[in-house]
Amino acid sequence: MEKLLNEMSSQCKPAYSVNLDVECDYQIPESLKRNSHLGLPNIAESDLLRHFINLSRQNYALSTTFYPLGSCTMKYNPLINERIAKFNEFNAVHPYQAQETMQGILEIIYKLEKDLCEISGLDYFSVQPAAGAHGEFSGLLVISKYFKSIKQKRAKIIIPDSAHGTNPASAALAGFDIIPFKSELDGSLSIEKLKEILTPEVAVVMLTVPNTLGVFEKSVVEVSKIVHDNGSLLYYDGANLNAVMGIIRPGDIGFDVMHINLHKTFSTPHGGGGPGAGPIGVKAFLEPFLPVPRVELKKSKYILNYKKSKSIGKVKSFFGNFSVLLKAYVYIKSLGSVGLKNVSEQAVLNANYMLAKLKNIIDVPAGEKCMHEFVLSPKSVLKNTVRTLDVAKRLLDYGYYAPTVYFPAIVEEAIMIEPTETESKETLDKFIEVLIKIILEESNKCPQKVKDAPVNTPVKRLNEVEAARNPILKW
Amino acid sequence: MDYTQQNYKAKKQMLDSIGVTSIDELFSEIPKDLRVKELNISNGQTEQELLNSFKRLALKNKIFTTFRGAGIYDHYIPSLVCEVIGRSEFLTAYTPYQAEASQGTLQAIFEYQSLICTLTGLDAANASLYDGSTSVAEAVLLALRISGKNKILISSLLHPEYIQIVKTYLENSKAELVVLPQGINGAIERTVLEANIDDNTAAVVMQSPNYLGIIEDMQMLSAATKSKNALFITVVNPLSLGLFQAPGEYNADIAVGEGQVLGSPMAVGGSTFGFMAVKKSLEWKMPGRIVGQTTDKDHKRGFVLTLQSREQHIRREKATSNICTNASLNALAGCVFLAGWGAEGFVNLAKTNISKARYAFNKIKSLEGFKVKFENKTFFNEFVIETQKNIKKINKVLLKNNILGPLDLSNFNENLTNCLLFCVTEQRTKKEIDKLVELLAKI
Repeated sequence: MEKLLNEMSSQCKPAYSVNLDVECDYQIPESLKRNSHLGLPNIAESDLLRHFINLSRQNYALSTTFYPLGSCTMKYNPLINERIAKFNEFNAVHPYQAQETMQGILEIIYKLEKDLCEISGLDYFSVQPAAGAHGEFSGLLVISKYFKSIKQKRAKIIIPDSAHGTNPASAALAGFDIIPFKSELDGSLSIEKLKEILTPEVAVVMLTVPNTLGVFEKSVVEVSKIVHDNGSLLYYDGANLNAVMGIIRPGDIGFDVMHINLHKTFSTPHGGGGPGAGPIGVKAFLEPFLPVPRVELKKSKYILNYKKSKSIGKVKSFFGNFSVLLKAYVYIKSLGSVGLKNVSEQAVLNANYMLAKLKNIIDVPAGEKCMHEFVLSPKSVLKNTVRTLDVAKRLLDYGYYAPTVYFPAIVEEAIMIEPTETESKETLDKFIEVLIKIILEESNKCPQKVKDAPVNTPVKRLNEVEAARNPILKW
Repeated sequence: MDYTQQNYKAKKQMLDSIGVTSIDELFSEIPKDLRVKELNISNGQTEQELLNSFKRLALKNKIFTTFRGAGIYDHYIPSLVCEVIGRSEFLTAYTPYQAEASQGTLQAIFEYQSLICTLTGLDAANASLYDGSTSVAEAVLLALRISGKNKILISSLLHPEYIQIVKTYLENSKAELVVLPQGINGAIERTVLEANIDDNTAAVVMQSPNYLGIIEDMQMLSAATKSKNALFITVVNPLSLGLFQAPGEYNADIAVGEGQVLGSPMAVGGSTFGFMAVKKSLEWKMPGRIVGQTTDKDHKRGFVLTLQSREQHIRREKATSNICTNASLNALAGCVFLAGWGAEGFVNLAKTNISKARYAFNKIKSLEGFKVKFENKTFFNEFVIETQKNIKKINKVLLKNNILGPLDLSNFNENLTNCLLFCVTEQRTKKEIDKLVELLAKI
């Protein structure tokens, strides 16, 4: 067990110090001075290094193992992206220095937006939102502002029950009333049901394509027509864009607004929970509502335009998570047109290969084929009250990170697997072998071993109930 | 470059297993007329080509000796921070859903939360938010949610972008946002607060040091807020807390702020992180991820994501926030930064900032054509100077000498025409400050 920083703290000098090269007296009034204890630890640099390196070794990461976490697109993060993102000429730039002195940065933002337009088939992008959910919120505000501008009272949004939790949460934050849309057992959408709930108050229908069961919605063109005939708009949750890059473009099939998770499809690392980036794209008629500033090209100079009277305003300070945007742009330049399409083809090949090997053994609610990910329901094959959670924990014992479990909620005991395009057939084969072994063999012959898992991890199964019942949130 | 792995043989075997003859068949569900012919994106580049082309792009940006702050600051980043956040085990992990395989990230966040609590003097912190601006918006939403009241008073001396973002977040809510005007001394006055606060006020939002660098009288503002049972939300520069009163000392309910000063580079303002700390009674109401301590089957200590029933993946539209991905790696940098400086080093760092800023302030105010804007106010590492000289010319001359000069406040509000906001951190040497003063004297 690695000690906590406060348990390591000693009487030694802190790791860092600073020299003062000016002489200057200053007075702080007593009433403004800090009197309370500042409990920062005093630890030497060498011990701190060991502490954090030891902690890092308690993580399973993409750089150490296969990470088939469905819906999170844990693909390889190319090292060149990190190397370029360390350039001082990007990192030491102040956001309020003159535009002429940050032309490289503005050029990257401008060209990244253009490339995202090309990939998505939408007309304009804003890279300001800091994450997928932030993009959803921003995109929905754009829609809300648009309807206000044409004086239509539309405050409802239709969201399928298979959607990510961020969809309804973002919609609520943006002020929409949510109409849940019950999907069919295979995750598909019924046109009839849609027609029933599509009233004149509906501003937008929010869809994830392919859906969270990994299936491409066949009726999407029809949905688009019905939605637009109703005067409503269509929102594309780009969380699953990795399945269709260079294959289809959301803009071409009628979507008006979308967000893209750059930390998924465009391979900027996830950092254990961010930073990410969630750029939003829109059709031309919605451009006036995008966040400010807009980066524009005028007389071969890149400029920041704040003068957009219809804009929703700013959603984040400065220009978004530039360091993340930069890595995504390097990734696009690295792969190019052919490479990007290849990503989706290989991602879909890898997922279908795994599905083919598993579908005769474990139930698959959404059928024979999938896009870049698929959902298993092992309920009928698991024996002796072994549950999906136990399977996930047992996978950790074999050195794998676990797939996403219990999502989407419409599938019982769901296991959601997304291999991504950057894994080899050998890696997939080994994983499949282990998964089948746990589900068929171990759950039958040694169920307790599965329920007691994990045992090969730095800690054994952790008590989450106790953590929430009796919260200890600091030392 | 191409990061996929399958060669022709492997592909063939995989297609055979699936029972199709081509990859194209896997996309047969997608109608042909929807297919893209070819993306109009330039051809892929090799690593070597990428390195060269991005070096060229990088060189189109200029780096200065900076005396500008206003929300993003030039601070020294210890080597240890770079080493730790560069560890691929932290960098390439996802949000720690599988706790047993994510103890590194989870313990580090727990330590981060603990350090933010001691820094702010409050009881509970979350795992991070996107940045300073959105952390203010989230704090405001929290206050509205739990109070059932719908008025928010916000200081006009908050960072102007933060106010804009709060406005955006409240666009479709019923809340009323009242921006409190600044007093003549560059701070918010009690009378202004008292004239605007009422029983329907959910929270009062104050920043200290404020946008003009001045330390506000938070004790007084907090007391005035509490007299109407409103929540006191404070936006603080964490480095200033090495010297100045912690939010817990003046009875703040929520402290938020920009974490960039704790170990993230300026990087045109992103990525950074936002922090949030609250009183114990509000811990269940916080947005975002929270890590808690627990035990494993063998009663050994471990850490998990906790209080998850607040969150979007469980509560959906009733969640405390829509936030999912936050800014974990930047928060980790903050954790390492705080641990590396330690209590003594951190206080020294804060003292060095105030000393150097004071040194520059004393020199500049005695120059002809420059004078103090706000007499007898305490500041941290930023201060306002009024000048009769041409501000555009000042910054032009400084720029020629590779100095990013003070921020022109003329557009901030009408009281600040001809005013400059200087920032001096520990990064500026005596020689650099003297050079700045020398150049200003000559203009």
